[in-house]
Amino acid sequence: MSASKTVLEINEELARKINEEARQNPQSPYANKFVGIANGQVVVVADDPDEMSRRLRQIEPDPQKCFGVEASRDYDEVEEIWGLG
Amino acid sequence: MPRVQWPLWHGRPCVQVVLSLMPAGQPLVRTLLADTGAGSRGSRFELILEENDCLLCGGFPYPPVNLGGAYRGSFPRYDVPVRIPALGFDQNVRAVGVPSDPKRFEGIAGFPFLNRFSYGNFGDPGQFGLEC
Repeated sequence: MSASKTVLEINEELARKINEEARQNPQSPYANKFVGIANGQVVVVADDPDEMSRRLRQIEPDPQKCFGVEASRDYDEVEEIWGLG
Repeated sequence: MPRVQWPLWHGRPCVQVVLSLMPAGQPLVRTLLADTGAGSRGSRFELILEENDCLLCGGFPYPPVNLGGAYRGSFPRYDVPVRIPALGFDQNVRAVGVPSDPKRFEGIAGFPFLNRFSYGNFGDPGQFGLEC
């Protein structure tokens, strides 16, 4: 870990690696899981986002030190917002 | 079953959610357009909120999401604590953070959020409500 990186950058980098690993290897322990990261470490692996968020906030109450990722997802996918008036 | 209803806002369905300003937790009420056309069942977000609200109300980040349609481009996402006290609803919800736009609603409650509840006018065409 570089000392010049922020906690957010370190968390983002780990999240990217976790997602790449899960997409390449369906046997990965992170595949199709919701992964909670705090201070550059994986601290929660859960089956749904509610459980992951609840446990992550218990472990690290400072949201600026936390990050979540849905492993195995295609983050290039576009989500449509239809017909907002 | 608990139910809460709100008058239509500018003729459109809306829901009111309560966020909590950090660190003291003062309530911040937001009126969101109830839009079943925003997102789908498998979407990676449930709400669209002003990014400042996400940051000020204890949101932690997720990877960004690419939106198309009414909002276009890559937007940050946050996990944000959200309450609807009349329903006893108190959950952390994934929300897209967008720039403030005073011409619009204070945000959007998308289909994945509305679909947590039973929703509709419950026989009153002047109101929109949620039931759980």
